[in-house]
Amino acid sequence: MFLERVIEVWGLGLRNIWRNKLRSFLTMLGMIFGVGSVIAMLSVGAGARHEILSAIQELGIRNIIVNSVKPPEETTEETTEDVWKDKYGLTFEDADYITAALPSVERLLRVNRIPKRIWYRSKRLEGAVLGVAPEYLETFALDVSRGRRFTEMDSRIRARVCLVRRSFVKQLNTTEDAIGMWIKIGTQPFQIIGLLADEEFKSHTREALAIDGVSQEIYIPYSTSMHIFGTANYVQRGGSHEYSEIDLDQIVITAKRDEDVFITSRILKTMLDNMHEKVDYNIIVPLELMRQRENTSRVFNLVMILIASISLLVGGIGIANIMLASITERTKEIGIRRALGARRNDIVWQFLTETLAIAVIGGLFGCLAGIAGTQGIVALTSWKAIIEPHYVGLSLGISLTVGVVFGIYPARRAAFMDPIKALRRE
Amino acid sequence: MSESRPVIELRGLSKDYGSGDSTITVLSELSLSIEEGEFVGVVGASGSGKTTLMNILGCLDSPTRGNYLLNGTDVSGYNDDQLSRIRNASIGFVFQSFNLVEQLTVLENVEVPLFYNRTPRKHRRAICMEQIEAVGLGHRLRHHPSQLSGGECQRVAIARALANNPAILLTDEPTGNLDTKIGQEVLNLFHNLHEDGRTIIMVTHNPEIALSLPRVIELRDGRVEDDHAARTFLDRMEVH
Repeated sequence: MFLERVIEVWGLGLRNIWRNKLRSFLTMLGMIFGVGSVIAMLSVGAGARHEILSAIQELGIRNIIVNSVKPPEETTEETTEDVWKDKYGLTFEDADYITAALPSVERLLRVNRIPKRIWYRSKRLEGAVLGVAPEYLETFALDVSRGRRFTEMDSRIRARVCLVRRSFVKQLNTTEDAIGMWIKIGTQPFQIIGLLADEEFKSHTREALAIDGVSQEIYIPYSTSMHIFGTANYVQRGGSHEYSEIDLDQIVITAKRDEDVFITSRILKTMLDNMHEKVDYNIIVPLELMRQRENTSRVFNLVMILIASISLLVGGIGIANIMLASITERTKEIGIRRALGARRNDIVWQFLTETLAIAVIGGLFGCLAGIAGTQGIVALTSWKAIIEPHYVGLSLGISLTVGVVFGIYPARRAAFMDPIKALRRE
Repeated sequence: MSESRPVIELRGLSKDYGSGDSTITVLSELSLSIEEGEFVGVVGASGSGKTTLMNILGCLDSPTRGNYLLNGTDVSGYNDDQLSRIRNASIGFVFQSFNLVEQLTVLENVEVPLFYNRTPRKHRRAICMEQIEAVGLGHRLRHHPSQLSGGECQRVAIARALANNPAILLTDEPTGNLDTKIGQEVLNLFHNLHEDGRTIIMVTHNPEIALSLPRVIELRDGRVEDDHAARTFLDRMEVH
């Protein structure tokens, strides 16, 4: 009974909307753009947030990464004792001291970077060679899809083995199975024993792990790297050459618990500040990055919401405006209905339903427009977007709210007209 | 006629417009009663208060002072919702300009009063079809008012006024927009309804129509100037 009535009132509203197709469509445009922009912003925002979070999670939220960096030029000039050799960065003592002094550290992994050229037969390949412990692969979820990973034995016997990315294999330009092939790092031969599962790290991860933009990583056992290449690096670039010594290119510290991360990183910073004269290291705390990013995206979201609200406001005002015009136009009808026994509430519902119908239809089209717009943005840019099913419900909610907020005044105005005057209107 | 009771009773009813010094009294101390089954004409020059009286009788307006008893219930102090309900249940309006809703079909127009008293759709349809048949427009159910002639429109309006089986039928110059022949047909329709026992109050300027009515109330300056009961009226006719 009640339902039948609701259906009838909606039917009446929809008929009126259909009667004025063009006007209704123009009125809906405000909602279409408003809701569409909300959906597009949400999808793109969620996509960006997801990407950042997953990148940071890739780094591991319990990890603290410390990279050795070349200190600013001016300070190096003061060290006059050894002009041709530049020693900087994290030292073996740093690592030992950290393990001994910080009880919250579960483990500390050493990384040796080998700035050597890589060759396959006579072909030069792009790659960044990293000497790492077997645990390093677990820490950064470097799963091997084919072949095998490093073992304790590889470390102990200092095996000349390496793990490579799939994209690195493509550079070999061969149809043969890459596993078992030999490549040369500098002048030293290494055998490929496994292929890593994922294509590559996300850009945030690469940055944090100090891997340059183009190279694919090649992992060799840490012990092998120390045995064969040591800590001295000789780099020849163009005409100039550079000779430097870095004990540890990177250390990765894993805290015992999530709560320990901040305090550990703070103590670590103080310790390194005291032990190093120059700032020849940088500390990256993924958990901190995550917090920062979350804050940034919160501000970003607020701005987005504000913009979306303004477009919804404009849409709502458009609806209210058209409804007021429609009510003036239909004064006579209102008078007739009132004379025949419509109560004020009946009139309110009649016009509110019409507004809601316009808003909701506009909102649903807006939802579609938003999804389409998001696909367009994704296709045209490198952004990622996440469209979730609850956006449809959200659009419905937003448009109902806009409909009620902007429909109530015109509807009440219609309901509170004097029926006698309304009837007399031609 | 002995068992009839007043459907409408006005006791010292007044209506003022404006306030303070600029108050205009449109109806003053009006007292009259109309029995069930009467067909009453209301005449008077413009400005005599006819329209105001009709609005009050039709529960579109409330009196400033005095009482209006409809079917024995005092409705003079009713609020808007209560008045709406009374209009819906007890009053059928037939206007000079028909006042049909353009966007609705004939059937839907007649359904409007039943829609507002929450009669279920199916039941409503049945009642309205019957009413439309009764005014001879059964073949026009799906037409819109713009597709009908004036006489047909007025018949639809009469069907609509009767849909809720109201206690009184209020009509304001129902033949004013119609030519003589069609007007006479519509008037006959009212006479038929009167014979069926309907209580009808008709405002009219047309002396010919007024003369054809059993009782005529003449208003002047907001007061009852003359109230010819049916018999008196006939007497006067004889005198002439």
